[in-house]
Amino acid sequence: MLQVLIQGLLLSGLYALIAVGFTLIFSIGRVLNLAYGAYLLIGGYAYFYFTQAIGLPKFAAVLLAAVIGCALGILKFLLIVRPLRGNHVAIEISTLILAVVLQSAVVLAFGDSSKILLPIIPGVERVAGAAVPYSNLFAAVMSWVILIALWIFIRSTHTGRAMQAVSMDAKGAAISGIDADRVNMITWAISGTLGAVAGVFFASYTQLYPGMWVAPLIIAVAVVIVGGIGSIIGTLIVAHIIGFMEVLVSTYLAPELRGIFTMVLIIAILVLRPRGLFGREEL
Amino acid sequence: MGLRWYHFALWIAFIGVMFALPEYVSKGTLRTLIFANFLAVFAISWDVLSGRTGYISFGHPFLIGIGAYTSAILTKRFDFPLEASIPIAVLVTMVGGLVVLLPALRIRGSYFALVTLAYMELMYQLVQVIRPDLTGGTRGMSGLPTLTRGAENGFYMSTCLMLAVALSTWLLMRTRLGTALSAIGMNEDAVSGSGLSVTRLKMVAFLFSAMLAGLGGAMYVHYLGSIAPRALFDINFVFTIIVAALIGGAGTTIGPIIGAFFLTFLLEYLRPWLPGAERYLIYGGVALVLYMIQPKGIFELVRQSLSKLRRAT
Repeated sequence: MLQVLIQGLLLSGLYALIAVGFTLIFSIGRVLNLAYGAYLLIGGYAYFYFTQAIGLPKFAAVLLAAVIGCALGILKFLLIVRPLRGNHVAIEISTLILAVVLQSAVVLAFGDSSKILLPIIPGVERVAGAAVPYSNLFAAVMSWVILIALWIFIRSTHTGRAMQAVSMDAKGAAISGIDADRVNMITWAISGTLGAVAGVFFASYTQLYPGMWVAPLIIAVAVVIVGGIGSIIGTLIVAHIIGFMEVLVSTYLAPELRGIFTMVLIIAILVLRPRGLFGREEL
Repeated sequence: MGLRWYHFALWIAFIGVMFALPEYVSKGTLRTLIFANFLAVFAISWDVLSGRTGYISFGHPFLIGIGAYTSAILTKRFDFPLEASIPIAVLVTMVGGLVVLLPALRIRGSYFALVTLAYMELMYQLVQVIRPDLTGGTRGMSGLPTLTRGAENGFYMSTCLMLAVALSTWLLMRTRLGTALSAIGMNEDAVSGSGLSVTRLKMVAFLFSAMLAGLGGAMYVHYLGSIAPRALFDINFVFTIIVAALIGGAGTTIGPIIGAFFLTFLLEYLRPWLPGAERYLIYGGVALVLYMIQPKGIFELVRQSLSKLRRAT
């Protein structure tokens, strides 16, 4: 029982961190960024390269990965999202193409085989029969810290409030003198940074391979669909619902079934309650 | 229907060129052409569902996979003959098309794209877990009966399939039904405001698309003789289908064919320089640039330059 609780909390923290960057773009830019998983891919590989090939200290490598993610987010906004502004379908499809391009760039640079990341903090703690690696604990704690920091940023800074305004009503925000373009660019930068950092943790949780961007994308999609958009708290709650559900299913039913329930939940919510558990204004 | 003589002339020329090809090209090229033909069928099927009505599906392999798996299981585990298993597979896939239609009745846009993605992932996980003795689990199935032997026969079979699918889609889309479907893609509320049943129109589009996907999937699996879940329910496969339809020109019939041939040969010509998955770097790059330049695809580019030429002379 305690084991399930601990596993669930660790996994859910990671899921919340993965999903929040995707939610930000979806609620403010109103577009699906299907290349979101590629931030995690690039972040994970950047961390791998800086620590295990160059030998930088781990903290510096995480920071560098975050910087690369941030740059990637800004570039994506300037080169793809802004020229195609208003055409949601075109943005979704070009981000899908971009994700595959980035995946093959990683294959070209690092090869097809999967890599194992050395844990960020080595060591394992045994709690109630469950092995809790320090890295996973660190990842979960970091996700909480990052999410709380993000929440404070959105709540109390001027830029954060501008982001909220744009997400509620882009026209109203423009009338109040908010430069929606600038806000969007900041959002894409934050989303890229969060994605790259989440990638470091996700890669140390599972492993590093070129196709690893699909799983986090599906998780992010699940959280957005089940929760509805626009709230960090909602993202946090739903990440815990999904995380705990996966842990419960794999502990008490069968490990192979864990993904199935997530998919069934997505489909059921979309068909039966298209507005999500916590509501969203438009469809 | 607005048919003109040059439409038929172009189709006959196209068919003639396709059937003359085995005389002039090598066996290797024929095998590439077979893949291009199948990709064209899948792209046309995707285009009927998504390109026309605007309901973008990111889970088209869900339908293709139903067709492929149904026929594979029937022939391999229950010893059905191919003549029976393929029609059954098509029917089962049409039921799958209704499953895809279900969310399309309530949600639009990005959410529909997401639910189709979820369908594909669900199917991928289900075939591995539920009754692995039937589906072959993670490893899939091999040693399935094949329709044809040899590159040439395979080429004729796939070409006939592609041409039949293309011609029937083209004719269907030139009727008032096709016009109504394109109108849904432009403005669904206006179509329902004109007194047409949007639900019924969408149902026709989804069923027709599922029929093509099931037929293509079943024939494809009996061309390959094997089936594996990761190769089928893969986001890279979705990517290839969607890109083929869009680069050629969504909302047209000839567009997806152009796209499928262009991209398959691009991939094939890159092989000497880049043997592995990194070919997709250039492939995707070309697709991205083309798409950013003209989201309506090669078909539109050709049409525009033709009309420019006509104005110049």
